[in-house]
Amino acid sequence: MNARIVTFSSHGNTTLFEYDPASADMDEVNKVIAEYEAKTGAQPFDMATGERIKKVTRQQNEVLMVHPIAGG
Amino acid sequence: MVSLTVSLVAFFALIAWGFVFARPHGNPMAREIGDPRLRGNNLLDRVGLAVIIGDPFEHGAQGVDVFERADRAKAYLRRIVALTGAVQMGNNYVLEIGTTRFHVRDRYVRRLQGVSDPKCEYEETCFCLPYTRVPTAEQIATALLELANNPALFGRWSAQIGAVKADGEAFART
Repeated sequence: MNARIVTFSSHGNTTLFEYDPASADMDEVNKVIAEYEAKTGAQPFDMATGERIKKVTRQQNEVLMVHPIAGG
Repeated sequence: MVSLTVSLVAFFALIAWGFVFARPHGNPMAREIGDPRLRGNNLLDRVGLAVIIGDPFEHGAQGVDVFERADRAKAYLRRIVALTGAVQMGNNYVLEIGTTRFHVRDRYVRRLQGVSDPKCEYEETCFCLPYTRVPTAEQIATALLELANNPALFGRWSAQIGAVKADGEAFART
């Protein structure tokens, strides 16, 4: 089963990309996530536990990139 | 007549040629990245066996109507409500973390610190996702998820310091 990285968008939720956790280069997956965070401020959360994670591992099947919030 | 037929065949062949070669990059999967901010990463090359996809729902403007998007957003909100242990009360989602209670609704969060203290009063701040437009249900889901992980974010939001990442760091898009 593929793992997927998702985020919220104007389309509802959006799959950014999927990969095979058994064979994907997780360093590269994390690099792409880090680049996405640098551009958008979104940080990864494990959708199995609801917890923020610093690095995506092969154990995560669904990761939600959560965007920054501004208060007022 | 023959020359007209040949011209027509050539004309349609050119149109077909245009359709085939107008596809960017040759690899149809590479075009399916859901978020334009990820384009250019060439993930197929970088991650090796990673597969970039977009499901049929992702192409909002092309295939998903407003109601379907709203349903998908609400479904995700329900998942996050269950994950965080929040409870829906009318339009509010009540999240209790220790002795702190949050009421999250469209664009507003209220915080009650010291639930058992009768003198404690609610504080309220509004919130938004400044860099991305998402359905209301997903804005609420974002706030619930972030507060459940880091209740101190409420203070950062009410301080009006601009966008704050889930870990509490300020963020400014460059």
